[in-house]
Amino acid sequence: MAAERVDAVVVPIVSDADLMLARQKGRELAIALGFSHTDTTLLATAISEVARNIVLYAVPGEIRLHVVERAGRRGLMVVAADRGPGIPNIAQAMQDGYSTSRGMGLGLPGSKRLMDEFDIASEVGRGTTVTMIKWAQ
Amino acid sequence: MPAPPARSPEKFLNLSELMNISDAEIDIRKRFLEFGPDDETRLREIAPVAEHYAQEVIDAFYEHLLAFPDMRAFFPTEQLLNRVKEAQKNYFIRLTQGNYDTTYVEERLNIGAIHERINLPLKSYLGMYNFYLREAGKRIFAALGDDRERAAATFFSLMKLTFFDMELAIDTYIDARERTIRALQQEAIRELSTPVLPFREGLLLLPIIGQIDSQRARQLTEHLLVAIRQNRAKVIVIDITGVPTVDSRVANHLVQTVEAARLMGAKVIISGISPVIALTMVTLGIDLGRILTVGDMQSGIEHAERLLGYRVERVEQDGEDEGE
Amino acid sequence: MQVPILRQGDFLIASIQGALTDADLMQLREHLVQSVRRFRSRGVVIDVTVLDVMDSFAARTLRSIANMTRLLGARTVVVGIQPEIAFSMVQLGLTLEGTLTSLDLDDGLALLKSADKKRQRHSDGS
Repeated sequence: MAAERVDAVVVPIVSDADLMLARQKGRELAIALGFSHTDTTLLATAISEVARNIVLYAVPGEIRLHVVERAGRRGLMVVAADRGPGIPNIAQAMQDGYSTSRGMGLGLPGSKRLMDEFDIASEVGRGTTVTMIKWAQ
Repeated sequence: MPAPPARSPEKFLNLSELMNISDAEIDIRKRFLEFGPDDETRLREIAPVAEHYAQEVIDAFYEHLLAFPDMRAFFPTEQLLNRVKEAQKNYFIRLTQGNYDTTYVEERLNIGAIHERINLPLKSYLGMYNFYLREAGKRIFAALGDDRERAAATFFSLMKLTFFDMELAIDTYIDARERTIRALQQEAIRELSTPVLPFREGLLLLPIIGQIDSQRARQLTEHLLVAIRQNRAKVIVIDITGVPTVDSRVANHLVQTVEAARLMGAKVIISGISPVIALTMVTLGIDLGRILTVGDMQSGIEHAERLLGYRVERVEQDGEDEGE
Repeated sequence: MQVPILRQGDFLIASIQGALTDADLMQLREHLVQSVRRFRSRGVVIDVTVLDVMDSFAARTLRSIANMTRLLGARTVVVGIQPEIAFSMVQLGLTLEGTLTSLDLDDGLALLKSADKKRQRHSDGS
């Protein structure tokens, strides 16, 4: 099989109070996987940003954390899923400087830079799913 | 309410994609080996034979393997050995189950990658395949003895498939080696060309030689930030005399590096902007904003020293030694 | 979690002790603004050495603390941003415009004091 998902931790995202829990869970798993301090911080920051998008635009949603493995290397996969309005123009959203609210934007290009792999699927009226992976070094 | 669309995570973790082994490529390989539907049929037909002899063949194999001391190191515990044997048995049986499709390929690539990662030498890996082929061959001829043509054809089918598998395994080894080499090269280049030099107390000098791409910019920034903390630096001089071109991407990288340094309380001066680069930047409309820039490294350092409160004076030379 | 705020002469020092929720950040802002007004502080140091992540909300809140306290006559300096936090901030495009920044508490206080002196010299008409 291509990948084994060994563990899944799900954090429902309903309000900003849930952001800290999502970061914390991400941090815990990262540390358990032996991520460096820097990588743990980058991961937690990326989780905070994508979860915050849910809070701002598409509540309720969830953050799913999976430990994944490929060819003997382990990593953490973060899935941020919601059934919100969806993003009409993903290409635009992935461009730096694009913003839908006062000044800050969706933080998607930034989150992508913080992680090793990044994918986003979105459909207007159905929702958005962001998938990101960071590998342990 | 319909479920949100999701990209299958399995699609993410795809070695075939990473290693550029497309469906077309798989097709070419099979045709080159002349492996087709008939081969698949013949292999499926001896599936019962394979299943019957699987355990025997595996046991014989590990007896052979463990007779070699350097191989024993890979199996320190009984538990591990049994787990691996089980996995190998499944591998052996899979050879005769048909459906040698993209999923099959992905599985084989993963197995190859795992063996590479544990540093199993290629000679041992290929030696294993050879052992299987011989043992399987013996049993195929024994089972299909009366029909020698069919036995031979079946053995050839198995040989084609085994070579197909070996090609994939070797590919994973080569891929892993190439990635390692690339990583080491980049590490070496980074060490050589982005030194962070503590120059005075509170002053760091960062001369950059060569092109700045996004990966290098990232490494540079990380390195610099740690150095700021370690050296309690307040002023950094980044010299770009040795950077051949500065386009808007490079300028963006520099701006980001400067911003990150500022967040740690350090001011950055960029020196080494040649007249040509200055012209380019103006033409391209690149604006470094409030970042302080100077023409050459010396000016950069002098400016930095002033910012830190140093005053550098030239002392008159007497032409005589010290002392009265 | 409440962030403790210490007063050192004309300056206030807020030391963040760990992970903060959005509500904690907003409470910190409220508390700092009130304290600046109450003590007529001229400077605020926010120590984020132990903060787990700096995301867009945290950055925004710090900026608004700086803006609000400036209206009340105080400068703000954020200190203790760690390398990996600084790195992730620029990846996300988060600047802390409007705030000063320093490596640590000592440097931050020194910076506020010298900024203060400059201001006084200017207002003396020199």
